[in-house]
Amino acid sequence: MSSKSALALRKDSAATLLEMCSVRVGETLFGVPIKHILEIVGNTRPQAVPLAPEFVGGLVHYRGDVLTTVSLRHLLGMPVESSEGKNGNVGHHDILVLESSGGIFGLLVDSVGEVLTVSSDDYEHNPSILEEHRAALFAGAYKLAQGLLIMLDPERLDPMRLGAAAA
Amino acid sequence: MDELTREFLIESQEGLDRMERCLTDLEERPQDTELLSEIFRSVHTIKGTTGFLGFKRLEKLAHAGENLLGLLRDGKLSANEAIITGLLQLMDALRGILRIIESHNHEGEAADAQGDAALIARLNELQHPVKATITVAAVTEAAAPPGEVPTQLAPPAAHPSAPAIPDPETAPAPAARAAAISDASKPAADDGKPKVAAAADSTLRVDVALLNRMMNLVGELVLTRNQILQATAANPNFTLLSRRLDMVTADLRESVMKARMQPVSNVFSKFPRIIRDLSQMLHRRVRLVLEGQETELDKSLLEAIKDPLTHAVRNSLDHGIEMPDVRAAAGKDPEGTLKLRAYQESSHVIIEVSDDGAGIGVERVRNKAIERGLITPERAAQLGERELLQLIFLPGFSTAEAVTNVSGRGVGMDVVRTNVEKIGGKVEIESRPGKGTTLRLRIPLTLAIIPALIVRSLDQSFALPQGALSELVHIPPDRVASAIEWMQGTPLYRLRGQLLPLVFLDRLLSRQGRLPASGLNGHPPASAALPGRDHFIAVLDADGRRFGLVVDGLADPEEIVVKPLSTILKSIGLYSGATVLGSGDLALILDPGSMATRAGVALAAAKESTEVSRAEEDAGSMGSRYLLVEAGQRRAAVPLGDVLRIERIPFSRIEYIGYRPVLNFEGQLLPIEDSAGIFASVAGEPDAQIIVVVCREGNRQVGIAVSHVLDVAAGNELFEAGSQHRASGVTLLNDHVTGIVDLGAIQALPMDSLGGGYSSDWSQVSETTTGSIA
Repeated sequence: MSSKSALALRKDSAATLLEMCSVRVGETLFGVPIKHILEIVGNTRPQAVPLAPEFVGGLVHYRGDVLTTVSLRHLLGMPVESSEGKNGNVGHHDILVLESSGGIFGLLVDSVGEVLTVSSDDYEHNPSILEEHRAALFAGAYKLAQGLLIMLDPERLDPMRLGAAAA
Repeated sequence: MDELTREFLIESQEGLDRMERCLTDLEERPQDTELLSEIFRSVHTIKGTTGFLGFKRLEKLAHAGENLLGLLRDGKLSANEAIITGLLQLMDALRGILRIIESHNHEGEAADAQGDAALIARLNELQHPVKATITVAAVTEAAAPPGEVPTQLAPPAAHPSAPAIPDPETAPAPAARAAAISDASKPAADDGKPKVAAAADSTLRVDVALLNRMMNLVGELVLTRNQILQATAANPNFTLLSRRLDMVTADLRESVMKARMQPVSNVFSKFPRIIRDLSQMLHRRVRLVLEGQETELDKSLLEAIKDPLTHAVRNSLDHGIEMPDVRAAAGKDPEGTLKLRAYQESSHVIIEVSDDGAGIGVERVRNKAIERGLITPERAAQLGERELLQLIFLPGFSTAEAVTNVSGRGVGMDVVRTNVEKIGGKVEIESRPGKGTTLRLRIPLTLAIIPALIVRSLDQSFALPQGALSELVHIPPDRVASAIEWMQGTPLYRLRGQLLPLVFLDRLLSRQGRLPASGLNGHPPASAALPGRDHFIAVLDADGRRFGLVVDGLADPEEIVVKPLSTILKSIGLYSGATVLGSGDLALILDPGSMATRAGVALAAAKESTEVSRAEEDAGSMGSRYLLVEAGQRRAAVPLGDVLRIERIPFSRIEYIGYRPVLNFEGQLLPIEDSAGIFASVAGEPDAQIIVVVCREGNRQVGIAVSHVLDVAAGNELFEAGSQHRASGVTLLNDHVTGIVDLGAIQALPMDSLGGGYSSDWSQVSETTTGSIA
C-alpha cells in the first residue's frame, strides 16, 4: 500500500492507520502490530526443551534473558520438521520478540517480511465459521489488495495463556 | 504513590530498623544517651515528615512517643522494662501503619483508632513514674526543655488551661511540631549529626531492580566475553584487546556482585527483639551473642535465610534452652546462651545457630518418629545417632510435648531445610545431650552464578549443579551390559557394593520413554537394549535421596549464570533455570530433587540413602577414606575429606615463584607439590596436560601434581607388629600398604624459606613405613 493511498484513506474517513509487521508461515500472510514487537531476531536455532508443551518452540538467548518461544507452525497444525530458515538451515527460524501483559516471549515464524500500513476500515473480525481453536489465536483480518492479512494478537499467543488453554 | 511518599516509607523503615536495634541495646544500657538520641531522632523524623505529608494517625502516635523519648533523653526518666515494651509497641504500630500506606496509599482508618488511643494513653502514662514529684519535674521539662525557652513559650500560651503535658489529641498540631523541631535541633547540634552525614556522603541508595538488571547485563557481558575469547584466540591482533576485555569484565562482575552484598547484621539485628519477646513468653533467660555480623552475603540470599533463621532461633529457645531452674539444677548458668555466628568459608557463608541448652535427645527423636509413623520401629532400631538427628528434618516431625505458640506444630525444621536448599545451601546439625545444639546453614555466596557440571543427553547440553553431585562413574562400552543390572525393569548399579538406583536422563526427558516401560508389558527390558557406547553415571544426592543419573557424555564444569525460566517451563518441574554456555549454546539446568521425584526414587530412596550412608559410616569406622593416586612410579593416598577437586590443566599454566611451582587457580595462588618429579617428565612437551589434586589443608589450599587418579577406597589402620601402636602416615588401601600424603608438610606461600629444600613427603613416608611394617 503506497503512502498516497494511505493519505487518501485518511481523508475519506476517520479510519486510523496501523503499522503491521508482516510474517509468513507456509503460504499464509500474518501481521503483528509493530508496537508489540521489541525486536526481530533472524535465523536462530532455538534450544529444545524436553517435556515442554508441544507449542513451545524452544528457548532462545535474548539480551541476557532466556526467552520461551511459541511455534506458530505448531499452533496452526502445520508440520514443524519441514520448516526451513532463509539459509536453508533446518531448525532455524526468524523470531519476533513480543511483549504481552504476561511478559516477553518469542514467536517462531518462517520469515519476516516488510512493514505494511493498514487501515482500520479494512479490518474485520474472525468469521463465524472459523475453526474454534484458530479463532482463539487470531484477532481478525485486514483485507488487502494482495490478499488477507491475518492479525495476530500477542496477548492470545502468550505461552502462559496457551498453556492454560491446552490444560 | 508519589515519589515523596515512597521516599518517606523507605526512610521511615530504615529509621524504625535503627530504632529496633537501639531499643534492645537500651535494655542493657538504659542510661546510654547516644542510644536514646538515636531513637528519638528516628521517631522525630517520622513525625516531622508525616505532618508534612498529612498522615495524621502516624503523627499522633509518633508525637506521643516523642514526648516520652524526650524525657528519657534528657535524663528525666530512666528506661525500664515497661517503657521499652511501650516503645516497642509504638514501633510495631508505626510499622503497621507504614505497611498500610505502602499497600493502600493512605494510613487506614477508624478500626485501629481505638488501639491508637489506647497506645497513646499508655505512652502518656509511662511519662508518669510512680512518684508525683518526678512527674512534675518531667512535665515541666516536657513543656520547656532548658535553653529552648522562647520557642517553648508558644504551646502553653496557645493552651493556657491545658494540662501541663501536651496531649497530642488536643494540642494544636502546628505548635507541637514547632516544639518538636526545636527539640530536634538539639541532637542535631551535638555529636550525632556529623557521623550520619559522613555515612550519607559515601553511600547511595540504589533500587534493587536496577541492581538486578545490572547483574543480568554483567552476566551477559561475561558470556559475550567468553565467546570473544574463543573467537579471537587465533588472531594475534586481538589477543591483547580481548585479554583486556577479559580483565575488565572480571573486575566489573566482581564489583557488581559486591554492590549486592549486605552484611548479615541486617538480618541478625532482628533477633535481639525476637529473643526478648520469646524469652518473656517462654519464661527463659537467654543471652544473645552475635558474631561475624560484618560477614557479607548477596541481598537476595539474605532475604531467603531470614525465615529459616527465625525458625531455628525459635526452636533453640523453645526446645533447646531449658527453664532457669532446670538449668540451675543441672549446674549450668541459669541464663542460657544463644549464639548466632556468621563466617565465610571459601565460596560459602556459614551461619551457625548454637545454644547451650539440653541438646536433642536421640531416644526421644527415635520414639517420636515412630509414634508419628515417619519411620518403622525396625528401621529406627538400626539407625545410628547421626541418622536419627537427620529425622528432625522430616516434614511432620516435632518432639515438643504440646503444641505451643512458638513451635511444636511439626513444621519448622523441614521448612528450614527446604528453604535453605532452595537457594543451593545445606543444613547440618550437631547436638550433644546436656551440652547444646548447633545448627549450621551453609549458604553459597551468590545465587546468580553457580558451579555446574555440563552433561550431554539427547544431543543437547544440560547443567547439573555441583552442590548435589557427589561423584562420577564412567562405564566403558564393553562393560555396559555387565555393569548395569536390572531388577524387574529397574536399572541398578553396584557402587562399592551398594545398589544405586539409576535414572536414564534421556528416558526421563522423553515423552514415551525410549524403551518399552517394563510395568506395562511385563517384560523387563534386556540389558542388551542399551547401546554399546560410553555411559556416565553422575551420582546425585538430592534431599538425602541418592541416585545415579545416566548421561551420554560429560563436558567440562563451568561457572554458569542462572537465568530464570518462564512460568510455563518452570511448571514442567524438572528445570530450575537455564544458562548460556561458553560455546554460546543454551543449556537447561536440571533440578536433582525433582528428577528424583519424577523418576520415583523418592520412597524407595529414603531407605536406600540411609543404607548407603550407613555403609559409609561403617567404612568410616574401619578407617578413613582416601583418594588413591599414582605419582611417578609410586602410589599414595590423599585423605578424601581434604580433596576439594581434581583438575586437569595444561602444563603451561604452572608458574614459578623462585623454585616453587604455583598455579593461579580461580584467582588464588596455589602452591603445587611435585615430589614425584612429574613436571620434569613433561617439561619438553608444550601441550602436556597434568593432573592436580586440589586439597584443603587447614585454612589454605594446596595442589598435588599426580600422574593418575586411580580410585577412592577406604583405608584400614595398620598396627605395628606386636604392639598396639597405630602406624601413622600409612594405611592399607586395596590390600596394599600406601603412604598418606602429609598435606601439612607442604610449605606455605610466601616462601620465606625459599630454596630451603622442602622434603618429598611421599617417598619419606613410604620408606619409613615399609620399614616399620617389615
